[in-house]
Amino acid sequence: MSVILTIARREVASFFRLPVGWVCVALFMFLAGLLMVTTSLTPDQPASMRAFFAFAGWLLMPVVPAVSMRLISEELRSGTIEPLMTSPASDLGIVVGKYLGGLIFLAVLILPTATHAAVLVWVSDPAPDPGPIVSGYLALMLVGGFYLSVGLLISTLTGNQTLAYVLAFFSILGLLAGPGLLGALIPPGEGWSWAREVLAGVAVNPRAADFSRGVVDTSHVVYFVSGSALFVVLSALALASRRWR
Amino acid sequence: MLSVQDVARSYGRVAAVRGVSFEAPPGCVVGLLGPNGAGKSTTIRMITGFLPPDRGRVRVAGFDTVEQSAQARRRLGYLPESAPLYAEMSVRGYLDYRARLYELDRRERRSAVSASAERCRLGEVLHRRIGHLSKGYRQRVGLASAVLHDPEVIVLDEPSNGLDPTQVVEMRGLIVELGKTKTVLISSHILAEVERVCGRVVVMIRGEVRADGSPADLIGRTGGPGAYTVEVRAESEDPAGAVRAALVRVPGLTVVSAEARGAWVYARASGPSGEDAREAIARSLRTSGLLAREVSRERPTLEGVFMHLLESTPEGGPAARGLSGGGALGGGALGGGA
Repeated sequence: MSVILTIARREVASFFRLPVGWVCVALFMFLAGLLMVTTSLTPDQPASMRAFFAFAGWLLMPVVPAVSMRLISEELRSGTIEPLMTSPASDLGIVVGKYLGGLIFLAVLILPTATHAAVLVWVSDPAPDPGPIVSGYLALMLVGGFYLSVGLLISTLTGNQTLAYVLAFFSILGLLAGPGLLGALIPPGEGWSWAREVLAGVAVNPRAADFSRGVVDTSHVVYFVSGSALFVVLSALALASRRWR
Repeated sequence: MLSVQDVARSYGRVAAVRGVSFEAPPGCVVGLLGPNGAGKSTTIRMITGFLPPDRGRVRVAGFDTVEQSAQARRRLGYLPESAPLYAEMSVRGYLDYRARLYELDRRERRSAVSASAERCRLGEVLHRRIGHLSKGYRQRVGLASAVLHDPEVIVLDEPSNGLDPTQVVEMRGLIVELGKTKTVLISSHILAEVERVCGRVVVMIRGEVRADGSPADLIGRTGGPGAYTVEVRAESEDPAGAVRAALVRVPGLTVVSAEARGAWVYARASGPSGEDAREAIARSLRTSGLLAREVSRERPTLEGVFMHLLESTPEGGPAARGLSGGGALGGGALGGGA
């Protein structure tokens, strides 16, 4: 466990030592601020961050790949993966440490948007219901963690950070828009109901929307946590497979 | 103690290493040498546990690198070629990070970082960013991180790569010091360095061990014929012919060239390996009434051993092309392997 925390700690610290970390912070703050001003801080609207959280998935789409792209890719490119993989850290320990580091950075990234909630409470009368705001932040972390795990797997497969970013970006876009687009292509009728159910099951947006309404559905939490775990384990397998190639 | 037993590794259909075996006891610096594509780096990666062998086994301090991987890795220190490091970290931060990876507690960590920094003379750059350091210092940081956890076996891949002559001498001193108590395996393309630092040399060509022994043994066994240079005063009508005739009388000696230039004849000859024919040459010249001002024998070198082994290897031509003519030390450089 201490090895995982060591790797995570180094990862978080390195984000703040490099321009890419600060670019991520600036980009996310800009997008989040813009979204907040245009959706929630509007006159004659109920005091809520529901619209803000409903767009959470789209907000994270350009930012998370920037976090995930360097997790393993940079180690592969610079050759630092060799001393790391010959240290006592296991392959699973390395990817879990990297994932945890990325997740902590994501939390640090999201944390300043709490000021948006504070502003909303300050300017609104009556004050907004805190339940949907708390569950909205939980959704932001769960969705972000899920996307991060997808980006981590892609980062393990290539030593090219630009490629890792582009592939992660389009994979997340696929997760967000794919089920809706494919659903529109399915012909109406009972015979295709199973396909509609499958697409509804894997869709990210409806789950995130439930959180923004203040509904914390256990199945949604399980979906994001188990999905993230699956991609982290796949990343460990992809890293281990480098030894056998 | 390092034990490599019949290890083999292929990349697809290409056999990079084919049944390599050797052992290295504590208190010994072993040099792993070979031309491009000899399989040195693959062998090193199998020793460090980065790659598992297809066949055979590697034991580090008695632990199998596949079946007891974690224990083996704890007892091994590794400096990969060109010392990959995190440029954004400080030297102290990086060493502390490495110490944490080896799960040293706070007190052990502090003393390990100080000791390795002192050993590798990093005191004055301890708080500087690695990315701002010279190549020599970065190499030292890599070495410090390799010896930080006091490993029993230390593997250094091209430790002098890219260093200036002063830094090479310093690195050599560090390796010799480490080799007094640890098992040290170095892969180097600088033959003169290997000759000076290593008590034992393993020569790999085309994925196989072609020679294994101390540099002196290898030079004695496979050093090739002794080469002689003779300078004699040109006094007769055919001075070159007279020198040639005198040299031919020495048993086992073959005259390579004899040429008169001004008042002197310059001749080159080759004799049997392991024998010193200088006295016989001087006597033969005196008997012929010739005045010699020089009779010298070129000292056989590891470079000669290499050339001999490469030339005697089937399809040695392509392997020999891995030799860098303008190498670090008078053409004795071998390129890094696959």
